[in-house]
Amino acid sequence: MPICAEEMGVIPDSELALSLQAGSLEALGVLYDRHRGLVFRTALAITGDAEAAADLLHDVFLRLHRFAAHIDPGRPLEPWLYRMTTNLAYTWVKKRQRWFRPLEDVADWLAGSRKDTPAYQAEMDDSWRQVQQAVSSLPLSHRGVVVLYYVNDLSLQEISDILDIPVGTVKSRLHYGRQALKHGLGLLAGEILPELQYEFT
Amino acid sequence: MDHKSDALLRKILKNWANWQNPPANGRARLLWEAANTSHNKIDLPVILLRPQFKTHSTSSDWSQTFFSWVNENSIQLRTQARMI
Repeated sequence: MPICAEEMGVIPDSELALSLQAGSLEALGVLYDRHRGLVFRTALAITGDAEAAADLLHDVFLRLHRFAAHIDPGRPLEPWLYRMTTNLAYTWVKKRQRWFRPLEDVADWLAGSRKDTPAYQAEMDDSWRQVQQAVSSLPLSHRGVVVLYYVNDLSLQEISDILDIPVGTVKSRLHYGRQALKHGLGLLAGEILPELQYEFT
Repeated sequence: MDHKSDALLRKILKNWANWQNPPANGRARLLWEAANTSHNKIDLPVILLRPQFKTHSTSSDWSQTFFSWVNENSIQLRTQARMI
């Protein structure tokens, strides 16, 4: 007997994965609703681009549908989603660095900085732009570790498993990423911007 | 490690990542595309083994048929490559 959407909302991921393997799009929709925030936030934090994050969110769940037969329902789904999201986000950043950044630099030079327009300013205020710049300035491998640790609250061991790197490497990247971010955001000398402080008080 | 500044850094990054939300129409787009994605279509060898064009006997111009087949399948492949 088919399961209705309301019932699916309380079904564990493992059973939804089985339904997905049987071809249930309803199960895919429930998994999407349940985990889209996780995937979108991770992609957004690594790419720094909301449109790219939306596309990556779509791609990750489309791959979940396509490769459902290869997923082990007995294991948690989140690590698979994190791994796929970070891999696709890394690929996006690398491609963009290779092909688009030089073109964007030329376009900005010719037309003035697009990011100085009032519309863009309204879209992202200075404090968030400062955070984005600080995160984007991290090397990609450090960025992934920092995002998984601080934004997604994963442990060092979980990050090690997801990124397939030793725990020592995770610690090292986290250390350097943390120092660079604190320096970039003025947290080392306690000189944090008033706007940022306001967000957390 | 300075735990106070570390906690503050965590809050800053979390708030920043929550600044934007996933697209509202993402679920519908995903389900539509998943419903229209055939596993067989994505499988490259299957496409090549099942060309979708008329046989030479029913076509008056074999070269036109050949290039139509190449064009149709290249479009199909590009579309699937984008989805993958």
